[in-house]
Amino acid sequence: MSPQNKVAAKAVSETQLVRRAQKGDEEAFASLFEAHKRRVYSLCLRMTGNTAEAEDLTQEAFLQLFRKISTFRGESAFSTWLHRLAVNVVLMHLRKKGLQQISLDEPETSQEEPVKRDYGDDDRRLLGSVDRIGLEKAIAELPQGYRTVFVLHDVEGYEHNEIAEIMNCSVGNSKSQLHKARLKLREWLREDRRRTQPQSLATSASPQDER
Amino acid sequence: MHTSALEKETNTVSNPRAKVTATYQAARTVLSILVSAGLLVAAGASPVEKTIETTPNPRISLGNIQGQVVVKGWNKSVVHATWSTASPRVEVDEEAAPPDGPAERVRFSTHALDPSVTGHDSAADYRLEVPLNSSVEIRNPQGLVQVENLQGDTTVESVGGKISVADIAGHLSVRSVGGDIEIARPSGRVEAYSITGNLHFISPTSRKIRGTTTSGKITYEGDFAPGGDYSLSAYSGDLDVFCPANASFELNAKSVRGRLENSFPITPKRHAPPPPSAGFSLFGTSNSGTATVELTSYRGTIRIRRLP
Amino acid sequence: MANEGLLRTDECRRFDAELGPYLEGEGRPFVPAHATQCRFCEVVLADLEAIRSAGRALPLEGPSPAVWANVRANLRAEGIIHEPVSLWQQWLGSNGFLRTHAPLGALTALLVFAVVLLNTSRRPPHSPGTDFAGGEKVVSASIGLPDQQQLETTLLELETSFRAREATLDPALKAAYIRGLESLNESIRECSESVRRQPENTLARQYLLSAYTQKAEILETALEFDAH
Repeated sequence: MSPQNKVAAKAVSETQLVRRAQKGDEEAFASLFEAHKRRVYSLCLRMTGNTAEAEDLTQEAFLQLFRKISTFRGESAFSTWLHRLAVNVVLMHLRKKGLQQISLDEPETSQEEPVKRDYGDDDRRLLGSVDRIGLEKAIAELPQGYRTVFVLHDVEGYEHNEIAEIMNCSVGNSKSQLHKARLKLREWLREDRRRTQPQSLATSASPQDER
Repeated sequence: MHTSALEKETNTVSNPRAKVTATYQAARTVLSILVSAGLLVAAGASPVEKTIETTPNPRISLGNIQGQVVVKGWNKSVVHATWSTASPRVEVDEEAAPPDGPAERVRFSTHALDPSVTGHDSAADYRLEVPLNSSVEIRNPQGLVQVENLQGDTTVESVGGKISVADIAGHLSVRSVGGDIEIARPSGRVEAYSITGNLHFISPTSRKIRGTTTSGKITYEGDFAPGGDYSLSAYSGDLDVFCPANASFELNAKSVRGRLENSFPITPKRHAPPPPSAGFSLFGTSNSGTATVELTSYRGTIRIRRLP
Repeated sequence: MANEGLLRTDECRRFDAELGPYLEGEGRPFVPAHATQCRFCEVVLADLEAIRSAGRALPLEGPSPAVWANVRANLRAEGIIHEPVSLWQQWLGSNGFLRTHAPLGALTALLVFAVVLLNTSRRPPHSPGTDFAGGEKVVSASIGLPDQQQLETTLLELETSFRAREATLDPALKAAYIRGLESLNESIRECSESVRRQPENTLARQYLLSAYTQKAEILETALEFDAH
């Protein structure tokens, strides 16, 4: 079967599952849960950084979805509907916890902020391959707004127009926040490398000395 | 004493007829020892004990065929269960989910290995200590069910056995066909239904109570919480309410063919709802009338009295 | 660090401004071109590309089985997931009867049956273990319930199921059920008579409907316990 046909077949079978679930078929619910649980849970985990919270939120997201499943009419893909709901569940949770969020409706300023550089020897070194644990830690350190966009885009693979729809912001804002998030992560990862590799010393070479 | 009587019986046998009689009497003596000690016939397995670590608020469910079920809440995140079966023809299954880590759900069920098993052979007795915040669901068609000291929701269903619950803070739902139901000091919402069994409410602090029986009696002893909603209905049985002198409630009592006996100071309402087309009704307030109390009976007697 | 935070050249400044759109796939040839000229900017670009790739490579993680267990338990409790069908419900379903839950079917059937009883003549009281449906059937005045005939049939089949299983019940259980059903039948008869004589007697009507509901519940309970 071609990739396009596979996608089409998957969509059809999911539609059938949704219809069966709308009639109360437990197996259909179980199949839908199985198909989407990892994406939802990973989303919740990376946005909260806490496994217990992530499991609670995963549970809540699926419960809300299944309670409303009779209202699903197929206007959007089922997975989009689910993940949008999951994101909303997480965001509501975070708001309740009173975590400071960066609004995604900020005017774009990234074009004007210079990328920080430390003109030392260390700055000429690449991060190299980014280890998973380091990145997970760095993601957890991000301010919430940056974290949300980075997780949705670079980890979960949402497009900016999808993120804009989910987060109720403009595509431009989504792109801007993503760039800031990546820069923040870079800062954190480089700082983390300096902490863990004390032998890498920063020298005081002046810019004119370069090239 | 029983043993020495038994020995006397067997040692004085001298002829075949007396031997048969003596054997029969000896068997009866043994049986009476076992019955009077309250033991299950020891053909089944010896008691099984199990301890399961749980979350602080697990869901516990128990399905039995017949026997005694006793559940008590305690201040530990652990379920401690003891059970014994009357015969090897029934078995108890126990399941905890998730399988690793503290259980969020624990289920006990008795099932018959031999489909033809009936009567006492199908009995299993349970005793559970469960976390205070557990939600508990029990189905025990025959035999006593006793539940105490829980803050979670509790559901008990029986057919012929007596149900006795005390100090339940969560939502309490109790249903029986022929068993009596006794509910002491509930503080959450209560629904209690029996067809032929009696209902007895003792010192409730709940704000919502529903009690219905067809041919059983209802007895309510206690106050009514401010703003509470109480509805008690008996068909042919009597309905007795005993409350303190300062109880504050609005009363709507009606009966089709029964009687109303009121020795409680109730001020009849001027604009009462129309009475049933036949029968009696009393609509009025006691003190400031903050709770709502509805008492209905088809042909039983409704009595409202002061608590002694 | 006197030079911390300063850009090297205007080109680096331009690089910074266009870096974000470049990484989003917009055509910004200056970015890669400058990166070949400037080690620092080359490092920044490489770092951000590495972070983007690493993000995509993060594996999906799965929740513990407890999550589905809880979801399923909640959905069952809320009636969104239908309970596995018990034997007698399967039997009803296979015979083309109502596919709703039995209590609902039984209740509506019993409501119709109440109509039948309301319009029948006096019956002799029945003795234990006999016909719970009660004596002869009289064509009743319809009270406008749809599918009245089918509902009556359902009710009779329901009680027939119970009667068929009656002999297999534990004697003590059977006695409790029979006492309960007799008590309810007594109340049904009485209330039916009251309603017949005084149609405006709302209390009697309430008791009548309540008795039917309870009877449906008892029959369901009896068949469920037996199925287990």
